[in-house]
Amino acid sequence: MSPVKRVVVAAACAALGVVLPMAFHAVPGAGNAWLPMHLPVMVCGLVAGPVPGAVAGLLAPVLSSLLTGMPAAPILPSITCELVTYGLVSGLLSARVRTGRLPLDLYVSLVSAMLCGRVVGGALQALIFSAGSYSLAAWVAGYFLTGLPGIVLQLVVVVPVVVALERAALVPARYDSEP
Amino acid sequence: MRSAGGYVWADSPLHRAPAAAKLAGLVAAVALVVLASSPLELALAATGVAALVAVSCVGWHAALRALWGLRWFLLVVLCMNALFFSASDPLLSLGPVHLTLAGAAQGARVVVRTALVVVLGTLLTATTRPQQLTSGVRELLRPLARLGVPTEVAALAVGVTVQFVPTLLRESRQLMRAQALRCGGVRSGGIMRRAVSYVRLLVPVFVSAFRRADELSIAMEARGYRIGGRDARPERERRP
Repeated sequence: MSPVKRVVVAAACAALGVVLPMAFHAVPGAGNAWLPMHLPVMVCGLVAGPVPGAVAGLLAPVLSSLLTGMPAAPILPSITCELVTYGLVSGLLSARVRTGRLPLDLYVSLVSAMLCGRVVGGALQALIFSAGSYSLAAWVAGYFLTGLPGIVLQLVVVVPVVVALERAALVPARYDSEP
Repeated sequence: MRSAGGYVWADSPLHRAPAAAKLAGLVAAVALVVLASSPLELALAATGVAALVAVSCVGWHAALRALWGLRWFLLVVLCMNALFFSASDPLLSLGPVHLTLAGAAQGARVVVRTALVVVLGTLLTATTRPQQLTSGVRELLRPLARLGVPTEVAALAVGVTVQFVPTLLRESRQLMRAQALRCGGVRSGGIMRRAVSYVRLLVPVFVSAFRRADELSIAMEARGYRIGGRDARPERERRP
């Protein structure tokens, strides 16, 4: 993938990170549960690498907050850090994990990124954004229970999306011929 | 789903203002709106935003259109605050739910703040073309170039993102309608059924977005954009 295309793909994913929450927020309360902004950031990391993934993770919440007011300014820093981690880790692992099976590669990278993002998000909440008033129970409730539908959605959607992009020849194939 | 972004052709002081100034102004205005808490401060902020809409000549319909799509979200925010914000001095109690004036006031504050930020964001994209926005981001980030930050690339990414938003919004809306016609909407059934519906919807949305990204990157490279060198602008913009 050329450098220009990496930037444009990061921008397209950041734009999807603005657009998808608008669609989901038409359903009351759906944004917190379905976590629509996470999807394009993870896809970007998996197909374009760590830097475009991190850029998409940075641009999506910041521009969405400026253009649509979501996420609200007080929670923007923590969401931004979490999304940057998703993009960065999914990209880093995607570039290194090679099991010979495309779906397995993607799931290893995806699940690791999902865990790392939540751990980093929780750590930042505990140390900086909600220092002194954050507990393990709040972390589990906030990052795993409330967002359970979103976790299911990420596990169900992200890998098929990346496979579909490869089949449509819109991103470079990971293996010459899929085993 | 609501509309966002999209340039509105007009000749107003806001349209003529430099993009960098508008961007910096937007950040400052959002900060002021977030910091406003008393009814008087919020009323002043709303008056300021209304004056900007009037000066911008984009029309009230275009400026406020995005709020209509957010109506359910804003209503839920208002109700959740009114019912769960506080348990003291309730007007009505039903188990763990307490309707309070303090909660309703807090909900109203959040709704007004969100609405004002949405209108400010709409005004920026309605009065600034994507190319101007890219130039504005580039100007604002210029001091960071001395620290080695690739400001041209950052400006390009921001400009392309803003340019993509209305396009992808339109395409997503079309795909949602098409899917609703073929096999029902995505907002019914349990978690797994909804997830499967979203897969059916999201795969074409992503493929469509990446197809546009592919076409745009080919067009940009054909026009001389290069990244990794010193300049991410097209050749014609680099000529003295």
